[in-house]
Amino acid sequence: MNSLTKISKYSLPQEGRGTWHFGSYVRENWSLLLLPLPGIVLILMFSYIPMLGNIMAFEDFSPKTGFFSQWVGFRNFTLLLNSPQIGRLIRNTLLLNTMFIAATTFFAVGIALLLNEVRSVFYKRIAQSIMFLPFFMGWTIVAMVLYGLIDYDVGTINGFLVKLGMGRIIITDKPQLWPWILTLIRVWKDTGSGCIIYLAVLVGIDPQLYEAAAIDGANRWQRMRHISLPSLIPIIILLTLMAIGKIFYGDFGMIYTVVGNRALLYPTTDVIDTYILRALRTNSNYGLNAAVGLTQSILGFICIFGANWLAKLYSKARGEDYAIF
Amino acid sequence: MVEKQTLLGKIFDLSNHIFLSLFALFCLFPFWIMVIASFTDDMVLKIDGYLPWARKFSLEAYKWVLAGKEVQIGYQVTIFITIVGTVGSIIVMSGLAYVMSLKRFKHRNKLAFYVFFVMIFVPGVVPWFIVCRNIYGLKDNIQALIVPMMVQPFWVFVLRNFFASLPVELIESAYIDGASDAIILYKIVLPLSTPVIATVGLFMAVAYWNDWFLAVMLLDFAKFRPLSVIILRMVNNIQAIQQAMQQQGTTIHLENLPTQSIRMATAAITIGPIILVYPFVQKYFVRGLVLGAIKG
Repeated sequence: MNSLTKISKYSLPQEGRGTWHFGSYVRENWSLLLLPLPGIVLILMFSYIPMLGNIMAFEDFSPKTGFFSQWVGFRNFTLLLNSPQIGRLIRNTLLLNTMFIAATTFFAVGIALLLNEVRSVFYKRIAQSIMFLPFFMGWTIVAMVLYGLIDYDVGTINGFLVKLGMGRIIITDKPQLWPWILTLIRVWKDTGSGCIIYLAVLVGIDPQLYEAAAIDGANRWQRMRHISLPSLIPIIILLTLMAIGKIFYGDFGMIYTVVGNRALLYPTTDVIDTYILRALRTNSNYGLNAAVGLTQSILGFICIFGANWLAKLYSKARGEDYAIF
Repeated sequence: MVEKQTLLGKIFDLSNHIFLSLFALFCLFPFWIMVIASFTDDMVLKIDGYLPWARKFSLEAYKWVLAGKEVQIGYQVTIFITIVGTVGSIIVMSGLAYVMSLKRFKHRNKLAFYVFFVMIFVPGVVPWFIVCRNIYGLKDNIQALIVPMMVQPFWVFVLRNFFASLPVELIESAYIDGASDAIILYKIVLPLSTPVIATVGLFMAVAYWNDWFLAVMLLDFAKFRPLSVIILRMVNNIQAIQQAMQQQGTTIHLENLPTQSIRMATAAITIGPIILVYPFVQKYFVRGLVLGAIKG
C-alpha cells in the first residue's frame, strides 16, 4: 500500500500540490521528519535559544530574575565603550589572529610545495604522519608540555642555556615574546593538517605541464615557483578569506589554556574570548559580559559577510564560482 | 617522469629533504620531551630539568599515575564521553545531513539555512552558559560534557555534501520500492559513506577526547573530571598533582611524589589512546578532509 502511493505520486506529478494533506504526508514520511529532529532540537537548544538570550546584554541581569531582569537599554554598551579594556581586547584579537593566519598559511603552503617535490613515497608518508601528530594533542596537553619546555627551573630551554654556560631566562614575564610563542605553537599544531588540502590540489595538476616546462629548460625550483604555486593561489585566497571571516573568534582555546592565569601576559595575549571566559568564572556582572559577547558576534557577522563579498568579487573576476556561501 | 638528475636538481633534493626533516623534528620535539621525561628518574629531572636525551630510567611516575584514583576516574570519563559523544554526534548529524541532501524534500534549503545561520552568527557564550546551567540543568553531570557539542554545523555540511554526491538513482529506487528514509540512511547511505564518516568520526573523537571547555564551564563540584582538565590543573598547581595521585585509603606526602615526571607521564597516557586510532582511519582521512574543505 505504502509503496503504491509513492509510485502513483511519481507517475502522476500533477496530483502533487492540489491534494497535499499534512496528516498523510506525515504518516508517509515519518522517518524523513524524524531523522533530522534531534539535530534540529540540539541546534535550537544550544544556538538559537542562547542567541535570544543575548537580550541580557540590555539588562541589569541577575540570576534570580533570569532573562526578565531590569531593562537598562544600552547602559552595558556605554560602560564597555568607556572601559580601557575593550580597545586592548579588540586589538589583541585582530593582531594575534592576523599573525596566526599569515604564519599558518605560509607554512602549510610551503611544506605542501616541498612535500610535493619529494619522490620517495616512503619518506613522504613518514614525514606527513609525523607532522600530523600535533593535531591530536589537546590544548591542555600542549599547555603541560609547554611548561616543560619554558619553565624557569626545569624547562628544556633553560636546561640548554645552562649547558651552554649561559644564564637562565624567565620566559613567563616577557609579554612582548608571547605573540611570537603563540604563533609558533599554532604553526607547530596546524601545519600538518593544513597542508593536506594544498597537497590534494597539487596532486591534481596535469603532469604534462611539468614535462613541457622541463623540456623548455625550467629547473625544479622554477617549476615549483611558476606551476605549483600559481595553481594553489585560488584555494589560498579562499581559505584566507574564510579565516578572516572568523577573525573575531580565533583559537582562544590555546590562549586560555597556554597563558592560563598569568596576568602579567594579558597586555599582549588577552583576547575577547579569554576575557569573557575568565569574567564568567570570576565576576557576576553577566549583563556586561553578554554585551562583550554580543559585540563580538556582531563584528564577526559583519566580517564574515565582508569576506564572502570579497570572495565573490575575486571569483567573478576569474569567471569561477568560489563564494563561501 | 624519468629525468636525468642535474647537479642543481640534486642540491635542490638534498636541501628539500633537510628542511622537511628539520620541520618534522620540530613537530616531534615536544612529544619526544614528554615521553623521555615521563620515563626519567624524578631527582634527575629536578636537578637538570627536562632534557631530550635518555638519563636515569624509571617507571615510578607511571606507577603513581596509573594507581591514582582521580586519574582512573578521569580515564573512564574521557573514554565514555568520547565513545558516546562520537557515536551520538554521527547519528544526529547524519540524520540532519541526509534530509538536507534529499532533492525530494522541499524544505531542504530552509533546513540548510537553519543550520548555516549559527555558523555565521555565533550565539555568545554568556547566555549559553546561563541557559545550559539554569534551564537545561547541565551542571555537574556527565551529559553536560556530551550534549552541548554534539552538533557541529561545519561537519553537518561536510556530511551533506558527501551524501549529495552519491548516486541519486540508488536512493530514489529504494524509496520507490517502499524503503523508509531511516532504512535508506542506515542500510544504503551510511555504508557507502565510510570515508566521510571516518573523517568526521575522527575529528569528533579528538574534539571530545581533548575537550576541556565544557568541563571548565559546567562542572563545579562534580566528583569526576575528564583527563584533559586534570592535566590543566596540574600545570601550575602542585596540590592538584597530589590530589590526582591519591589512592584508596592512603595519604600522600607531597615530598615523596615524583611531581616532574608525573606531569609528563599524565600527559603521555592522555594522548596515547587517541593517537592509536589514527592509523586505522588514515586511509580515509585525506579523502574525507579534502572533500569537506573544498565543498564545505
